[in-house]
Amino acid sequence: MPSFIQHTIGNNSFILHYNRIVFWEQQKVLILSDLHLGKTGHFRKSGIAIPNAVMKEDMQRLVDAIQFFKPVQLVIVGDMFHSVANKEHELFLKWRNDFSNIKILLIKGNHDIVPHEWYRNAAIDVVEGNWRLNDVAFVHQMEDADEALLQSCFYFSGHIHPAVSIKGLGKQSLRFPCFFFTKNFAVLPAFGKFTGTYLMEPAKNEKAFAVVNNSVIAF
Amino acid sequence: MQLHTTTGYKIITQLLAQNQYRPFDFQEQAWQHIINCKSGLVNAPTGCGKTYSIFLGALIQFINNNPNNYAALKTNGLQLLWITPLRALAKDIGRAMEDVINKLGMQWRVGIRNGDTSMSDREKQKRQMPEVLIITPESLHLLLAQKDNTKIFNALKIIAVDEWHELMGGKRGVQVELALSRIVNVQKTLFNTLCSLWGISATIGNLDEAKEVLLQPMQKLHVASESAAASAKVFGETVRASVKKQIEIHSIFPDEIEKYPWAGHLGIKLVDKILPIINQSKTTLVFINTRGMTEMWYQALLAAAPELAGAIALHHGSIEQELRLWVEENLHTGKLKAVVCTASLDLGVDFRPVETVIQVGSPKGVARFLQRAGRSGHSPNAVSRIYFLPTHSLELVEAAALKKAVEENFIESKPPLLLCYDVLIQYLCTLAVGDGFYPERIFNEVKNTFCFNDITKDDFLEIIKHITVGGTALSQYDEYKKVEIMPDGLHKINNRRIAMRHRMHIGTIVSDAMLKVKFMSGGYIGVIEEYFISRLEPGDSFTIAGRNLELLMIKDMTVLVKLSTAKKSVIPSWQGGRMSFTNNMAAKLRQALDTSHKKNNIAELQVLQPLFALQNTLSRVPKQDELLIEHIATRDGYHLFVYTFEGRLVHEAMAAILAYRISRIVPITFSFAMNDYGFELLSDQPIPVDDSNVYELFSEENLFEDIQKSVNSTEMAKRKFRDIAVIGGLIFQGMPGEKQKARHLQSSASLLFKVFNEYEPNNILLKQAYAEVFEQQMEETRLRDMLRRIQKSKIIITVPERLTPFCFPLKVDSIRENMSSERLEDRVKRMQEQLTK
Repeated sequence: MPSFIQHTIGNNSFILHYNRIVFWEQQKVLILSDLHLGKTGHFRKSGIAIPNAVMKEDMQRLVDAIQFFKPVQLVIVGDMFHSVANKEHELFLKWRNDFSNIKILLIKGNHDIVPHEWYRNAAIDVVEGNWRLNDVAFVHQMEDADEALLQSCFYFSGHIHPAVSIKGLGKQSLRFPCFFFTKNFAVLPAFGKFTGTYLMEPAKNEKAFAVVNNSVIAF
Repeated sequence: MQLHTTTGYKIITQLLAQNQYRPFDFQEQAWQHIINCKSGLVNAPTGCGKTYSIFLGALIQFINNNPNNYAALKTNGLQLLWITPLRALAKDIGRAMEDVINKLGMQWRVGIRNGDTSMSDREKQKRQMPEVLIITPESLHLLLAQKDNTKIFNALKIIAVDEWHELMGGKRGVQVELALSRIVNVQKTLFNTLCSLWGISATIGNLDEAKEVLLQPMQKLHVASESAAASAKVFGETVRASVKKQIEIHSIFPDEIEKYPWAGHLGIKLVDKILPIINQSKTTLVFINTRGMTEMWYQALLAAAPELAGAIALHHGSIEQELRLWVEENLHTGKLKAVVCTASLDLGVDFRPVETVIQVGSPKGVARFLQRAGRSGHSPNAVSRIYFLPTHSLELVEAAALKKAVEENFIESKPPLLLCYDVLIQYLCTLAVGDGFYPERIFNEVKNTFCFNDITKDDFLEIIKHITVGGTALSQYDEYKKVEIMPDGLHKINNRRIAMRHRMHIGTIVSDAMLKVKFMSGGYIGVIEEYFISRLEPGDSFTIAGRNLELLMIKDMTVLVKLSTAKKSVIPSWQGGRMSFTNNMAAKLRQALDTSHKKNNIAELQVLQPLFALQNTLSRVPKQDELLIEHIATRDGYHLFVYTFEGRLVHEAMAAILAYRISRIVPITFSFAMNDYGFELLSDQPIPVDDSNVYELFSEENLFEDIQKSVNSTEMAKRKFRDIAVIGGLIFQGMPGEKQKARHLQSSASLLFKVFNEYEPNNILLKQAYAEVFEQQMEETRLRDMLRRIQKSKIIITVPERLTPFCFPLKVDSIRENMSSERLEDRVKRMQEQLTK
């Protein structure tokens, strides 16, 4: 079973990795979405004891991905941080120091409410709305995609935390996060593990790639 | 002190005599015990003076202690704490009490404290407690979350716990146990006194245990202070009311017995049969198990008898409060001819005009059936009359079983819950919001309850760790904050927002999140449980309020639908759909089936002869010492039907265990279905169960391990975890004025469950979820008993050529779960292959 799948769109090839990230080979860019960093901290600060190992493991998966793909840039299509700043954000800053050579670009999502100085301090470039690199464009929610760009570019987006349900005989069904591809755009699975999912139903011309443990499986 | 010679007794009986009321023996017994400062349990049904048995006792005691100025004494502080599970009852009880107090010319005041009590009344009570406080378990805990709450209990003489049979067996019962442990310890340590503690309970199978559970914290204090000899004897008095209620049970027979029974199919056709019953009685309650069906019945009744319009009403949990109160009011005054209702009218105040009860479909248990029957014929010496209307023909067997059980007074036990850590976590936070607590001291108090008798120091410290540092080791990036430890060791919640949030979440009743159902084109249809809708996917059809609807999408807590043309649709599994046969019910049902083989004159069994004959031709009607297993192959795949007749919950567990055990023989994947009669395993390959291995598959050996392994891969614990997470304070529903940030604090129980399972598998609440599955959901003891029974019985495996009457209801209404021994990835691959074939 492949631990990743290569997906080609035009002249670009993308690697869909089980760590819930996409690697754009030509540009050496890691694309990811909905990290919701600091979510556990936000809950814990309010007296809800979510295991704080979640955040640490999320960061570790990011380290693994960076060491494996050696990207020059991370493009995050929104919801990088879950809410207002808490101490877990400092853990991120420490991490950021260790990988200061990598550029980080954030396409702002609805959860990204920390102040601008904070991003500057963390060396994160922030873009509101749409952003493009060659013939690939990025946005948090597809409904905010630019009509004109949509004609010429392939879009990467996030926000909805897509998942698919896999059915077999005897009404068996299981649910997995997925990369969701249509002709014009892709929706990435949420990178953060402390996130819910939304069930997608791929139509004929749509494709879902489910993340099943340490594998990516095409549908 | 002899009761009859006391001033109090004379004054009270004189008053009663003036109102043509003579005390019952059991009331006098209770009064005698009360003036002797004893504790105990009064076993009496509702509506025969159980309130008086304790309340008048409290008055007698007070008058005896103040014979000269009892009428003049004011602001005596709290004398009688009356704990009741039902808000609706509080007002009635309060009024009855005030009536007596006024007639005696006493200055006592009666206060009510529950979710409806206004802020100003609360403040008044805070300044000056009334002599009698009627309170729900939740509000009692809120009282313990007040600053300086201990002084409330300074003068307290009696604690009465009403409807203890209802409270015990649930987490509200545990709440009561914990509150009692606090109050008696406060009295003992701070004021060096000890009140009396009395429970009031209807008859249940384990009445002695009920008393023990309730009195445990009190008993432990007595044991500590008295000699060993005194403590050896059974603690607490039992007072029994010897009032026996007459009950008539009638079955309603369909004109034709369908040989392929189908749940929910038959009932509504019988509407013509119940019209004469409704016409003949003053008022009739029609009990229906599911809310969806009540709507259908209401419509059907109106269609069949339009003249009833205005004289019949609906009553269930999804109906708005105002309308429900209107229905109740009109039930009291006798203006309604019939009310179609769910368990929503099981409990509560009595409606005297009700002469007849109709039970539609299985009541699932003897006690519940009796309870419902008891809602009719309420005046003294009146007969309770209940009609049983089957929703599929097989249910007539249940009628035969119920009659037998009632005849033998074979009533279920209510096993008390043990080690509910979620309730304990909530309780500790409650104390921390109040005056704070010292763990050492509270540990001993908590250990004095029945529920936490076996709690280990380690587990307690684990819980303290959970609420103080959030379970995990301290890290510089962690800001966990809930209970703080003060320099002197006092554990306290100082953060005002956290304290407020906690107060709003005190309680153990976790209702399913309800979603509104609306047409996409506009138009409100009703409400539905999130639990149900979450299992559906867009495009699926379901039935609500008698309509077939197609799910389009869920948006902002609203389910958007359109009318469906699909022939098949799912009927929501409300509470009623999820209830399971009780032990007693199951035993009697197996007995009734056995009787069908013998010559008998039981009408229900006679009527079912054609169905039994077909079942016997195709397969077999199992006798009491037989277990029937059917192998049937259909287009859907290979079915294995097992008829253990133990109730849906036990079947759910047994199905998982059997699937696991079979999957160790060959890699195989199943889906399950179960009802109260049996369960089904369905696979896409033949299921290797035959004479050679069947006893081994149903062996008691390694049961524990096999449960652990099979349950782990099912949804059971996840479902349990929702309630636990809410009670334990992990799920936060939001509160006014905090909207934006509150949204960032919301998460679903299933997500929490996933996260804990992966990152903190030893979390104490997670462990509790598994324990609850094990003890309550699967009813491990029952499971074991069943397996032992099966080992001693003859296992009959048949291979019917087509579906049998017994398996048909299982085929129709099914809940399916997944379980597999294959590697996840392989399984997905294989599923795909099947799909593309």
